[in-house]
Amino acid sequence: MIRTIVGLIIVLALSVVVISSVPDYSLPSGLQGVGQDYTERGVNDTGSVNLVTAVVVAYRGLDTLGEVVVLFSASTAVVLVLTLVPMGANPTPSSSIVAFTSGVLPGSIVLFGIYIITHGHLSPGGGFPGGAVVASAFLLVMLGSNKIPGKSKLLASIESLAGVTFGLLGFWGMMMFGQFLNNMVLPAGSPGKLFSAGIIPLISLVIGAKVASELSGVFSSYRKAGGDE
Amino acid sequence: MTLLAAASIATGVMMLVAAVAALVVKKLISAIIIVGFVSLSASILFLLMDAPDVAITEASIGAAISTVIFLWGKGKIGGEE
Amino acid sequence: MNAQSLFYWSLAVTALGLVLIGLWGVLTRKNILRIALAFTLADTGVNLILVWSGFLPGRSAPIVDSSVSSMVDPLPQALVLTSIVIGVAVAALFVVVGVLAARKSGSADVRRMKELKW
Repeated sequence: MIRTIVGLIIVLALSVVVISSVPDYSLPSGLQGVGQDYTERGVNDTGSVNLVTAVVVAYRGLDTLGEVVVLFSASTAVVLVLTLVPMGANPTPSSSIVAFTSGVLPGSIVLFGIYIITHGHLSPGGGFPGGAVVASAFLLVMLGSNKIPGKSKLLASIESLAGVTFGLLGFWGMMMFGQFLNNMVLPAGSPGKLFSAGIIPLISLVIGAKVASELSGVFSSYRKAGGDE
Repeated sequence: MTLLAAASIATGVMMLVAAVAALVVKKLISAIIIVGFVSLSASILFLLMDAPDVAITEASIGAAISTVIFLWGKGKIGGEE
Repeated sequence: MNAQSLFYWSLAVTALGLVLIGLWGVLTRKNILRIALAFTLADTGVNLILVWSGFLPGRSAPIVDSSVSSMVDPLPQALVLTSIVIGVAVAALFVVVGVLAARKSGSADVRRMKELKW
């Protein structure tokens, strides 16, 4: 009880601080600084129509490489802990509805995920959402089957290969133009076409493979530890 | 714009009520499902804020993948509070 | 207050409320999985605030088209895109460590986990 009240007081004090720090309740007039710059020059610089993908992959490509490393270490920690501490697998058999759905849907979900990844520079999407969609198809397959997955060399090798390819694509730009992850090592093409925007589609593909294999690796080690619903 | 304001206020009130409910409801499995609902509502707000990329990501990760992760944890711990 | 600024500020109130509710849950709940759920709620709220900071009502999504004249800021959206994926990986780690701690102390109650205190 004391704990609830003290927590409530802390939260209320914090909300008062935040609310009193708002200068005035008006609407912002326009973009300034780097955001304005990206919206004006984005298409000419990168050839990507979707500016979010342009920022993720081209302008902030090095940051994205760092994010991929964070993702890698988190999923490695999950797999490591679950491998070192055996918890006794007891897979519950899936119901017939789940078993039937997991036979029908994953194909089209994977197709949709690949579409999201490859059209990341033209429409909303890119490597991160597409990879998550592909991983959810993998999850559905695993929920429908009653087998415990064995050691999978394929997932681990896709994961490592994608990481190495990301680095190599970065060094390609460094060798040609002296700039890590330079986008113009491939021709920019005409914006709006599928084969355009330099190496952005390639890097989207790499990020998609990386995210999908990391999340699938986490699920498969969960499944090995048993007990998922 | 009036329609947008109504939609955002309705979604926001729903989200805040659901978030409090997820923390005070008795059964853990209900709390997990309610948090999945809050994530799905957040993806609607992302769409209202003109961020379709973020909305896709939030819908597939927040509503599907993290729900399954928490359900796994509940299955491993078992029991109640 | 007209409809446009009502729309704009209601989004901010929702996001801030979600962060505060999540913080309150982390401070006061006792089940370790309930704390992980509260952490996820706060994470969603922070992502909403970040996207809101680059949002301008009445403009269009940051996808260039010949019919589009002005758009919202693409930078916060790009940062949040990666932040969501990192958030789910961190939540997965949180749940695994929480399950280990619960099995070690025999209960999911954080008050019983003596290893956390000093």
